[in-house]
Amino acid sequence: MTRPVRTPAGIRPALAVALVLTLAAGASAAWAGRDWYAAAHDDSAAYAVQRDEALAAGEQAVQNLNTLDHKRVEQGLDLWESSTTGALHEQLVEGRKEFTGQVRAARTVTTARVLSGAVTELDDRAGRARLLVALRITVTTPDSKSTDKDSRMLGELTRTDGHWKLSALGQAPVGGTAVG
Amino acid sequence: MPTPRHHLNRQRRRRAALADQSGPGGRTRTPAGVLTEPAPRTGERPAAKSVRETAAEPKGETGARRTTDGRKTGGEGTTRETTGGRRAGRVPLAVLCLLTLLLGGFAGWAYSRAGELRDDPARGNTALTDLARTSEIKGQTGAAVAALFSYDHADTTPFERAGKTLLTGKAVAQHRTLLGGVLAKAAEQKTVITTTVTDSAVERIDGDRARVLVYADQSSVSTAGLPSKGKTAKAGDQGVYAGAMFAVDVVLRDGRWLVENIDTFGR
Repeated sequence: MTRPVRTPAGIRPALAVALVLTLAAGASAAWAGRDWYAAAHDDSAAYAVQRDEALAAGEQAVQNLNTLDHKRVEQGLDLWESSTTGALHEQLVEGRKEFTGQVRAARTVTTARVLSGAVTELDDRAGRARLLVALRITVTTPDSKSTDKDSRMLGELTRTDGHWKLSALGQAPVGGTAVG
Repeated sequence: MPTPRHHLNRQRRRRAALADQSGPGGRTRTPAGVLTEPAPRTGERPAAKSVRETAAEPKGETGARRTTDGRKTGGEGTTRETTGGRRAGRVPLAVLCLLTLLLGGFAGWAYSRAGELRDDPARGNTALTDLARTSEIKGQTGAAVAALFSYDHADTTPFERAGKTLLTGKAVAQHRTLLGGVLAKAAEQKTVITTTVTDSAVERIDGDRARVLVYADQSSVSTAGLPSKGKTAKAGDQGVYAGAMFAVDVVLRDGRWLVENIDTFGR
């Protein structure tokens, strides 16, 4: 009833419409903002991102540690050291000299390809993860003969300074753990 | 009964409207006509309606009074508002428009950001984030792989049942190819194959599909020529231990995860 009386003002319906539109915009802004906040602060999403980061870093590190060219041993071993941390890192540093000699004598080129990889455990607070990496290693001897070998790698990752690095790496034992 | 009051209100309103027009700069503006013209029309409409209302309910005195009261206050309210004028209305209108644009813009931006985050492939994969489902897949895949790659010549029913119930799609043919060679000689060599999953990890879960990386140990024993049927390996048995690695794609069907594809990485 009061609506028609307002028309004389001319601007009133426009004002009313504008008010309704503003309220609608405000409501949708609130909804979208909340939605965005929820999406940005989703714990499981952050966990998923950590999982994928750990996997990517882990696969790369495992590949790095199985790649070595006798002509570029120093570079290769530098990469090994930068991909690792903790006990594994220390082990590599300690055995570096001896290993360099062995590779130079054998004159082999080793390359690796990650076939598949997956994280089995992830503690994103402690910064620890375990992963499985299926690897195909190709060793080329000085007489250009190359052999492929599949490797079932088990790795442990530790996050240091925001980066995931390998702190342990080994092959899944065959036979020993079969029973049980 | 309500008409005299209404008439008074209308007159008052009209007077107020006129006063508003004849105010500063009111006469020169053309919208003056717009202001005066609809006034009587709108004044008439509620009056006519209320007459009809009172006619419809003959003894509805209280009802009628209530409506007139409501109208009265409403009328007064609007008169006050109209004195505020349309010039003052432009500023709030502009503010509202600006607010609408800002809020709408923010809504659109926030919506697209949320969408971007949701579309993140990391989020689509629920491996490990959905722990219950991850361990369910791990458990069922491990059991399925063990059943599918274990064979006992003495009792082939578990093996055959596994092949019928745990496989789907192209995995049926893949399974047959993988074990074909062994099965051809299995009866005469009295082969017993035992497969145990030693490690497995779920690479990806996407709704009712998942991919699992499996490390398995396989022992195969040929007991041909042995007098006893004992399964324990004795010296002289051709026991072979082998480690295998492969990935399986599993799909959820009627509450069970079935093997849909066996990826042996080209081996």
